[in-house]
Amino acid sequence: MVNIFEKFIKSFFKNLFRRKKHIKLGLYGPPNAGKTTLANRICEDWLGESMGKVTNMPHETREIQIKEQVNIKSGNKEISFNLVDTPGIATKIDYEDFMKFGMNATKAKKRAKEATKGVIDSIRWLDNMDTVVVVLDATKDPYSQVNITIIGNLEARKIPVLIVANKVDLKKSKIKKVQSAFPQYHVVGISAKYGNNIDEFYQGLFKVVG
Amino acid sequence: MPHQCVRCGKFYDDGAEEILKGCPCGGRLFFYINKKKLEESKNIVTDLTPQEKNEIEKDVFDLIGIEKGVEKPVVLDLESIRIIKPGKYELDIVNLFRKRPLIYKLEEGKYLIDLPESFKKEEK
Repeated sequence: MVNIFEKFIKSFFKNLFRRKKHIKLGLYGPPNAGKTTLANRICEDWLGESMGKVTNMPHETREIQIKEQVNIKSGNKEISFNLVDTPGIATKIDYEDFMKFGMNATKAKKRAKEATKGVIDSIRWLDNMDTVVVVLDATKDPYSQVNITIIGNLEARKIPVLIVANKVDLKKSKIKKVQSAFPQYHVVGISAKYGNNIDEFYQGLFKVVG
Repeated sequence: MPHQCVRCGKFYDDGAEEILKGCPCGGRLFFYINKKKLEESKNIVTDLTPQEKNEIEKDVFDLIGIEKGVEKPVVLDLESIRIIKPGKYELDIVNLFRKRPLIYKLEEGKYLIDLPESFKKEEK
């Protein structure tokens, strides 16, 4: 009897641990929406270190970045996940856009190629995700092909989604527009850069991850 | 369905020997072309300078992770990714999400790269 009980406890904790260990939380969205800024915010809040470089130029993240074993707590709830920051998904990548930021043509073309590969990698990784946070720029029109395609594909794959309307510190931001574009989802307005409303984001994450 | 050599712009039908061995002009990269887009596609290759064609070839090989100097012809599916000029890409993400992955090795020396297909669960 004791043995059965012990086995049960062991397997229960083993399964619990295994399940938690393998949660992959992906940050997806269009370029320059603030995915890496949010990844940095999460890592700084819970690990005390940042994750990736942030600039104003689109397609700064061109490779999948993973931070393993991020534990977040709220009251007596705790979730543990591997945080996956992905390159922004775009339909058009033009090296001349990078040259506007003062980059020379050779470097800009290289960046365009890497960004294109990044889009492909992001899409390729989608099927590995357990939960996805879609990061949108709340100052931009939410009804874009990129946003709708990402969210539609997550729905089709039955991957739980939390939508973040980022950059609420900016006057032009319109959270309500994002909410009305995706009414069936939980939308949290935050500023990843300044940390506005970040607690609500973590609460939302708990709800989605379960 | 036609294939177009990126270097000289010549069209070949499916299964043509040139696609397997490479174009007589030395080109090893082919665009795979949907009939609907045939007219549009004709213009793409003719508008490119030889230098641009070289750059595109190099970029495509880099993108799909094939090492330089490879002798194997590569077919690029225009449905999902278009390289208009070096450094200018258009991606059909709907197609990229929808389709299944991959690089098909059809026969010795021939690969069909279906970028949308390159997508699935490779990392698992």
